[in-house]
Amino acid sequence: MQHFWDKSLSWGTAGIFVAAAIGVLAVVIFFVTYAIYFERKFIGWMQYRKGPNRTGPLGLLQTVADVSKLLLKEDTIPKKADRGLFILAPALAFIPSFAVLAFIPYTLNLQFADLNVGFLYYIALSGITTIAIVVAGWASNNKYSLLGGMRSAAQMISYEVPLVMSVVGVVMMSGSLNLRDIVISQEGYFWHWNFLPQILGFGIFLIAAVSELNRTPFDLPEAESELVAGYHVEYSGFRFAFFMLTEYIYVYAIASLTTILFLGGWNSPIPALDFVPGLIWFFLKFAVIVFCLFWIRATFPRLRVDQLMGLAWKALLPLAILNIFLTAIGIEWIG
Amino acid sequence: MKGMLKGLGVTLKTMGTKKVTMSYPDVPIQMPDRFRGIQYFEPDKCIVCNQCARICPTDCITLTGKANPDPEKKGKVIDTFDVNFEICILCDLCTEVCPTEAIVMTNNFELAAYSRDDLYKDKQWLYENNRNIREDNNNIGSPKGGAK
Amino acid sequence: MIRTEELLLNVGPQHPSTHGVFRIIVKLDGEVITEATPVMGYLHRGTEKLAENLNFTQIIPYTDRMDYVSAMTNNYVLCHAVEKMMGLEIPERAEFLRLIVMEMQRIASHLVWWGTYLLDIGAISPFLYAFSDRERILGLFNELCGARLTYNYMRVGGVKWDAPEGWIDRVKTLVKDMYNRLDEYHNLVSGNEIFLSRIKGVGQYDAETAINYGLSGANLRCTGVQWDLRKAEPYSLYDRFQFDVPVGKNGDCFDRYQIRMAEIEQSLRILDQALEQFPGDGETMGKVPRVIRPPAGEIYVRIESPRGEIGCHIVSKGKAEPYRLKFRRPSFVNLQILPKLLVGENMTNLVTILGGIDIVLGEVDC
Repeated sequence: MQHFWDKSLSWGTAGIFVAAAIGVLAVVIFFVTYAIYFERKFIGWMQYRKGPNRTGPLGLLQTVADVSKLLLKEDTIPKKADRGLFILAPALAFIPSFAVLAFIPYTLNLQFADLNVGFLYYIALSGITTIAIVVAGWASNNKYSLLGGMRSAAQMISYEVPLVMSVVGVVMMSGSLNLRDIVISQEGYFWHWNFLPQILGFGIFLIAAVSELNRTPFDLPEAESELVAGYHVEYSGFRFAFFMLTEYIYVYAIASLTTILFLGGWNSPIPALDFVPGLIWFFLKFAVIVFCLFWIRATFPRLRVDQLMGLAWKALLPLAILNIFLTAIGIEWIG
Repeated sequence: MKGMLKGLGVTLKTMGTKKVTMSYPDVPIQMPDRFRGIQYFEPDKCIVCNQCARICPTDCITLTGKANPDPEKKGKVIDTFDVNFEICILCDLCTEVCPTEAIVMTNNFELAAYSRDDLYKDKQWLYENNRNIREDNNNIGSPKGGAK
Repeated sequence: MIRTEELLLNVGPQHPSTHGVFRIIVKLDGEVITEATPVMGYLHRGTEKLAENLNFTQIIPYTDRMDYVSAMTNNYVLCHAVEKMMGLEIPERAEFLRLIVMEMQRIASHLVWWGTYLLDIGAISPFLYAFSDRERILGLFNELCGARLTYNYMRVGGVKWDAPEGWIDRVKTLVKDMYNRLDEYHNLVSGNEIFLSRIKGVGQYDAETAINYGLSGANLRCTGVQWDLRKAEPYSLYDRFQFDVPVGKNGDCFDRYQIRMAEIEQSLRILDQALEQFPGDGETMGKVPRVIRPPAGEIYVRIESPRGEIGCHIVSKGKAEPYRLKFRRPSFVNLQILPKLLVGENMTNLVTILGGIDIVLGEVDC
């Protein structure tokens, strides 16, 4: 893709961009459909259940049926809601989530846009989704939504700090913010991947990432048992589907990001296995991370708000800073 | 950390175990014999003693009798017998007090209907509800003859 | 100047964590509760008033519907009160059956509590783990008395059904399996650091407060008061069996959690012994007059239900119907401490504390 960016924009290149964007959208929607399916299947199996098995063979069309139902649903907007913002919020949440996918390098050459500040781009855009969630909570004019929205804002802002800090170590080791360069710097055996030298950063990144995703055990903004559904209490039908889609696209983004930053991207664990295409390695690592998210969701209870904040500021942030110092010392001494 | 890892181990182990889900609407559930389902009523056995209606805690049984059409015989025969399944709680007391086992429980439990009127079951319907009739109507625990 | 105001939040009657149709109006300062007013009565069916026009056999199915998670103990308290009033002799086999089903019911009830409490705290799997095991107990009840929830099993003077063929052996297998399942439960959540940090030190009160509020069951024992009616005032056959009364010391949600889990274990112990001593044959119904007419007078009988002290007060005028019937429902009494506990707590702790009290709305509203 990169050489198209270097040319001046013409109708032809614009058409290619649009086609590629639609391609990415299709891949992502396919992922979301089956991520939801497998999430329900895995959690079902972990709970002595069979999971969805009625719609289509093995229940494979369950998500399709659910989405069609959401699309056919009556679109309700509460009378006292702030109409403009209420309509805006789902779109505002979705657009950045889709835009962050542009920079992910799946293999050496398969990448939509090669940005020099790849990781910062992700952080910058994903912050907009937080605003969308606060807007949704506010515009619904519902007290549960408002509490959920406020929690979400506090949580996302707090956890972005350790998330960024934990990656600084990786950036220092590879000397670049460009995600492609970060993957290239991890070539070799699997112990060259960043997750071993950066084990502390990896741990912090995982915790902060799960929190950024608003998933168990950090799903406070939509804590079902106390806030009913949090910021999307009043949303139904298509607008709700957009929030759902956003959430799962971020799962996709975070899983890709973890693969790239810490698990060597498309690199094979040992050079002898290089004959397997890089895309398959990428997908395998990606799938393991997504599975872990489901697995955690099936097992863990939820944290409390004050504990959540305490964890971010009192534990993760100091550790992330420590990690930066340790990395600096490591680079200085070992090289 | 240790406790969390243990928990993760339990869920992972459960993934491979046998599932408990029943395929209920496809495969009917076999209830044990003593199950208290919708009653079966046999008009020929009924002696119109009214005990079931009196013992019913929710007053869901209404019945009327008429003189025996056979002038040779004494006593009454049942004329109408209605159970209102909107309020019947299937408590088993009517079958417990019935001296002739004219009313007995069956193992059928599917009562859903689109209209409330459908839940008023009459003599004929209850007589036709003759599948899965409870075999063991052991009335050992009942105060014989009801109360009042 | 920034003006802040308190947020009046209506939690319930339709809310996933109020365990039924219970409503709390909370005033929130940020996420901190400054005032909580419980509103109850949405499930009030007037059982006690209805009972005045029913004879004692007819009341039994109504008691099933009070604490629908533990119908057997409700059956028992009513039958026990009437039997005591009339001075009836209960055959040993019937009494054994009653005790066995009551202890099974205690396990089933605590399993429901365990599953839903963890669900309140945000873990979804324990709920299904607990229910898959409770299902086995309900299946056994279904074989015994033909219903899975509203058993109507006990009668004044005995029980309705004798144990069917092989039932006792199936209960024995269940008890054996339950020990292993209990270990798995502990592995799944009891050590989870997130869970422990959520419940330790939350909803704390001392023994004096607990007694002043009239709490009973695990809510009282968590403060260190050793008060279990099965030990303190043995009824049924409880004086024949060895078991301990687990107590806590801090009076917080963590202690209540531990006590309930330990109680499952103690119930299994009682079941082990009761199944061993179960008499080979015998009557299941004592000699009962045709019409049950307790002599004029009144009586108060209390037993230990899974939720605490359930009592039955009968005023009789010598008729087949009670003149007045009053149930002391443990859920209702235990709930009264809630507004006191909630003040100053976080919104998240509302569900932790409410769940920890273990209420059943059918019993609160009766």
